[in-house]
This record gives sequence, C-alpha cells and structure tokens, in this order.
Amino acid sequence: AEWIHRFSLPTCPLLAVLHNENTNFIRIIVSIAGQFFSSGHTNNWAVLVCTSRFWFNYRHVANTLSVYRSVKRLGIPDSHIVLMLADDMACNHRNPKPATVFSHKNMELNVYGDDVEVDYRGYEVTVENFLRVLTGRLPPSTPRSKRLLSDDRSNILIYLTGHGGNGFLKFQDSEEISNVELADAFEQMWQKRRYNELLFIIDTCQGASMYERFYSPNIMALASSQVGEDSLSHQPDLAIGVHLMDRYTFYMLEFLEDIHPASKTNMNDLFKVCPKSQCVSTPGHRTDLFLRDPGSVLITDFFGSVRKVELTMDAINLTDPIKQMEENPVNGEEQKEVYSYADQLPVSEIIHQKPKQKDWHPPDGFILGLWTLILLVFFKTYGIKHLKHIF
Amino acid sequence: MAAPLTLLLIVAVTIRAALFRSSLAELIAERVEVVSPITAWKRVVEGLALLDLGVSPYSGDVFHETPLIIYMFHFLVDYAEITFMVSLNKNIILKHFVVEFRKQKFALEADRYPMDSLELIRSPKEMYYIPLKVAMFYLLNPFTILSCVAKSTCGLNNAVLALFFLSTIKGNVLLSAIFLCLATYQSIYPITLCAPAMLYFMQRQYIPVNFRRVSFWWFIVQYLFMYLGSLFVLICLSFFLLGSWDYLPSVYGFILSVPDLTPNIGLFWYFFAEMFEHFRLFFLCVFQINVFFYTIPLSIKLKEHPVFLMFMQLAVISIFKSYPTVGDVALYLAFLPVWSHLHRFLRNIFLVSCVLLACSVLFPVLWHLWIYAGSANSNFYYAITLLFNVAQILLVSDYFYAFLRREHHLTNGLYLKRKDGSEATLILK
Repeated sequence: AEWIHRFSLPTCPLLAVLHNENTNFIRIIVSIAGQFFSSGHTNNWAVLVCTSRFWFNYRHVANTLSVYRSVKRLGIPDSHIVLMLADDMACNHRNPKPATVFSHKNMELNVYGDDVEVDYRGYEVTVENFLRVLTGRLPPSTPRSKRLLSDDRSNILIYLTGHGGNGFLKFQDSEEISNVELADAFEQMWQKRRYNELLFIIDTCQGASMYERFYSPNIMALASSQVGEDSLSHQPDLAIGVHLMDRYTFYMLEFLEDIHPASKTNMNDLFKVCPKSQCVSTPGHRTDLFLRDPGSVLITDFFGSVRKVELTMDAINLTDPIKQMEENPVNGEEQKEVYSYADQLPVSEIIHQKPKQKDWHPPDGFILGLWTLILLVFFKTYGIKHLKHIF
Repeated sequence: MAAPLTLLLIVAVTIRAALFRSSLAELIAERVEVVSPITAWKRVVEGLALLDLGVSPYSGDVFHETPLIIYMFHFLVDYAEITFMVSLNKNIILKHFVVEFRKQKFALEADRYPMDSLELIRSPKEMYYIPLKVAMFYLLNPFTILSCVAKSTCGLNNAVLALFFLSTIKGNVLLSAIFLCLATYQSIYPITLCAPAMLYFMQRQYIPVNFRRVSFWWFIVQYLFMYLGSLFVLICLSFFLLGSWDYLPSVYGFILSVPDLTPNIGLFWYFFAEMFEHFRLFFLCVFQINVFFYTIPLSIKLKEHPVFLMFMQLAVISIFKSYPTVGDVALYLAFLPVWSHLHRFLRNIFLVSCVLLACSVLFPVLWHLWIYAGSANSNFYYAITLLFNVAQILLVSDYFYAFLRREHHLTNGLYLKRKDGSEATLILK
C-alpha cells in the first residue's frame, strides 16, 4: 500500500547516512533521528465542533469548551484551533450567570474564561462548512482563522459532540452528517497529505457508529458509547437549570486536568477514561488503522503542542559553505559529539512545588522564662517541700 | 456529688462532640453573636498561618489575641476541640469548688440574725445541690455550647476567670493576683475585679475596711504590687515571644478604641457606625468609662459581700464590654444558682427570662432578614441587641435589689411591723 512508502520518506536521510562507512557516526545519528522522528509530527491542530443549538443543549457547548481549554492549556495556540460552536450559551438570555459556561456544578470551573476564540459560530456551523474545513476546500476569501492549514507533519485532534444516532450526527437540528461522509472526508485529507496522525473523539449517543466506516491510515478513534447505547449527561446544576456536561467528556476533562506538557501519559490511559461504572455507556475505541502502538502514543502528541528542544552552547557559523559528506571518512576516529535533546521543562515539579514553609517556633528565651515563672508560682503555692521529691 | 457531676460532664462532652462533628460547627463558628473579632477561632488560625509565613500576626487587622494565645495554640492547633472542651470542664470543676467554699460563709453568718429570718438562711441540705446546679447551668447552657463549638477563645477567658474565683475563695492571694493578671492581660476589663478580690481577702483576714487604717492600705499595696508586678512580667514576656511591641496596639488598642464595627450583641457597634468622627473620642471615653464606673459605688455598698460584688462586676463587664459574646453572658448566668435563695425577692424574673429567650431566638432571624433577605435593616438587629442588653441589666439590677432586700430582712426580720404592730410594706425609692 502506498502508505508504507509514505512512512519511509522520513527515514530517507537515515538510509542515506547508513550508506556511510563510518559506523559509529551512523549509530549516533540513528539515535538522534529515532528520538526526533519517534512521533513523526511537527505541529498540532485541533478541530473542536459542537453541533447542537438551544439552551437545553448547554452541555454540548460546555463539552467542547472543556476540550478547548485543555488543548490550549497544553500548548496549542488559537491559530491552530478551529472552534465551532453552534450556539452561544454564555450570553444566552436564559443564562442566570452571564458570560460564563460552567463545567461542574458549584461553579468550580468556568470554561468560557477570558480568551475564548470561536471561529465558526451559530449558523455557520453546518455540515458543509465542517467538511470544507477538514478538506481545505474553502473559498479564497475565507480568513486564516477559519482554515485548517495542516500539512503532512500535523497531528490533528478532531472532537465532535452533539446529538447522534446509528451512523449519523445531527447538526443544528436540521441536517446530518453520516459516517460514510466523514470517512470519505478523512480519506480526502489523507490523499491531500493533510495530516500525519488523526485522533477522532466523539461524544454522542451511539458514537461508535461514526468511526465504523473509517478506512484511511493513521486514524485513532474514541467514542463515548457503543451502537445501541445512549451517552448520558452528568449532573444538572439547579442554579443554572440544565445539565452542565456529558459524562464521558466530564471524566475526560478530569483526566486531562492532570496532564501537563511534560506528561508521559499514553493513549492506553485515555482508553480507560470513564468505564461503564461511571459512564453507564461503554466507551469504545478503534486503533487498527493506527501504525504505532497506542501505548507509545503520548497524550500530548494530540492534545498538546510539545516541541523537542536542543540546547547548545556553541556558536554555529552559518556563512561557511557546507562541507561535503566525503570528507568524513578521512577522520578515522570516533566522533564523540553526542547531541541530545533537552528534556521538557520539569513542569510537574514546578506545578507541584509549594513554597517551603519554615515553621515558626517561639524563641527559647520565652519558653524558658514562661516555664520558670510557672514553676516558681507552683512551688510558692504548694510549698517548697515538693522540690525535694522532684529532684 | 461526684456521680451526678460525672454524668453531667459526659452529657455535655457528648453534646459538644456531636456538634463538633456535624456540619453545624462551621455555621456556628461564623455567627456574630458567638464570635467577636477578638475571640474568633478563624482569626487565631489566620494569625498562626501568618506567623508560619514569616509575617507578624498583628500586621493588618486580623488577629487580636494575646501572644500567650499564639504560644498555646502553636502547639495545640490540631487539638483545638479537645483544648476547648478541657478548658470548659476545668471551668466547671472550678466553679464547683467555688460554690462549695461559699457554704462556710453562711455558717458564719447564721448566729447573727434574729429568729424569724432564719428561714431566709439556707440550710446545708439546700446548699448541697448548688454546685451541681452551677455546673449544669454552665455546661448545658446553649450559649456555652455554641461558644465551645465555635472554638471561640472566650472559653479560655472564662476558664481563667474561674481560676481566679477559685483562688480568691480559697484564700491564696498570690494565685488570685496572678490569675486576675492573666484575665486582665487577655481583655482589659477584669481589672475591675481587683476591688472585690481585695475586699474578700480583707474580710478573710479580718482587716477592717477603713480608710484610716494602715493595715487596709498595706494590704492594698501588697495585692496591687503582686498584680501589677505579674502584669508587667507578662507584658515583657509577650514582648520576647515575637520580639516586638506591636501586640499592644493590636490587642489593647483594639479593645479600647473599637475600630471594628461588626455587629455583635453589644452596644458599641451601632452607635459608632453612625457617629461623626469629631465626637468619636468623646463617646468612646463615655462608653468605656461605663464599664469601670460602677466599681466604686458597688464596692462601697457591697463591701461586706465581696462575692456578690464579684458577680455584679462580672455581669457589668459582660454587658458593657466592647465586644461581648454569648460566652461572656453564659459566664455570669452560670452563677445564678448560687443566689437561688434570692428568688422570693426577685420581681422581674418572668419578664427578664421571656425577653432573654425571645431575643436569643430573634438574633439569627433578624440577622438573616437583614443580611440575606434584605428585607430588614440594621435597626432591627440593633433593636434586639438593645432589648437583650436591657433584659440583662434588668436581671442584674433585680438580683441586686433582691440581695439588698434580703440583707434588710436579715437584720430587721422577715415580717416587717410598724411601731404600732401593723404590717408594713417595703418600698424601693
């Protein structure tokens, strides 16, 4: 299949070096290349879609905004996020707490915040617009913020939520997208080299039906419920009057809140989010189209934007002509320059570091003085004869 | 006597433990009637937290308790509930002993009075149950339960005052001076209890209360020396705890100048909220003098009855202090059974008890209406505060009247007769 060739492209420089006679040099380059190309992507995108409108579908907007929040927090910038919300809940006239969208009752988390950038809003969220965003077939007048400008090295996260059924997802209560259409859209993306790897998450009723028809490579899919099951919502908030989140996304948000850019959590943990005991529905996933083992795929490969950084103290002279590769065999000795990529910032330590609290202790003079006085009073009251029993 | 007392203790501890563990504890801990800016537990914790962060707890208007409290709670903050319960029980045991020692005073007086007033003297059988009644009045008083569950330091204040009573009645001059000094160190007002303490000792040691006698002045000098000396030592010691004098304006300056006008069951807040700055100092002096003012006249009148004087002073302090709470009220209410023999002379007891009950119930109601529902305002709450204080004052003055009347009857016989033998009535002019 053509995707085998596709995968070998990054290994071409590797193969070129392998032809070199100096085997030690090769060994080092292999290790660097392996480290750099282990995930295969160089940029991250996210397409987050909420397909339902009306006030009682508050939870779908909250779902999408929670994922938006996590994705932004982990490093994907607004320019790489396409956020599509079919209705405005924060400024809805039925919202008793205007300008907020809460994800948990007791108002623990306002996912609307101060810097939410919605790219497609209200009636702009249609099946046609969604498919055009995915495939890139937008009119030339479309602004950059409304385009998915991904390339063949992009990892894309696609999150859909709303009302769905067996094989379809309802948009705006007036039209549907079927699973076949979606699979074809992804195949278009593959043929146009618009993604490196795709993670597809859907939180609707009978969500697993939406990924049944995928046939393009490098797609991993998760759904909140199997065919024939309903995806249920989490608790209602009595002050706001609606259900605030869906169960699957609620527990996924809880899971994601613990992730930080340096996390090594992998996809197998994401598959375990929201078991049947919490979700009532059975979440499902599909990994057969995915090349890598899910255990080696980091959450931050899709949800965050984690870059590899190499720190160097040397100055690199860019004006010198590039030396030819043939000059290397002259140098017979081992080249011991090992470059290694710096670890990500130790975010976990920084996050969990509390200021070291020095406990206050009363000064010794005070304690001494106080207890001497107490003892003196005691002996004055009860007589000096007790002293000889003590000492 | 030990068995009923133990039972009472167990019941009281159970009630408090049950309330500590329930969700009511937080609710009670923030009620303004139960905690004041001086005694609130939240402020103690805040002060200790500030100390752990390296900041003086007296910076900012958070913590207004004395450094010795810091020292004590530094070690006991995790065991706060137990500490308060222990201090409470100590309180009880002390009062218990206090009352027992009162009995001997009555024995002394018995042979001085005419025959028909003998029924006014209490028999030892009646007096046997008074310690238990005092313990019951204190332990099972809803005010004390609320105060203990809120972990307000008022409980510690009460404990120190009870220790003072105990040492005074037992006759130990040094301990009495020291405990009084501790009580004054915590809140300034117990200084007025110097007078009854001194009078009591003088009576015990048969020193006549006569301005011309040297022994009178000599005893006063002795006592004041011990008292002021220990006060000085305590203040210097507190300086060494934190290394600075800024606890003085935070504690004593706060009590005297009343900057915090959070509503409470006292009289200060409303007045000072509506007062112009120009007159503030004047009215501050007036209100504060009100507490200390009654010492001299009462001492002159009650110089032969220092224990009753102590009770009166305690009541006056609890009513007129700058930040009263229900814990202070409970302290002097606990002593009422000691004067149960005055019941036949009390005139307003029904009114007073009804008003006190009604006001206690109305406090949270009007607070809710004012703060939460917004359908009342501060005048409602202040009206109830006023009524509560008026009822307290009426109670105290009623007991005073009854006491004096009993004294009159003791010397002049119970059934008063005019010179021609017909029945006479006693009118208070």
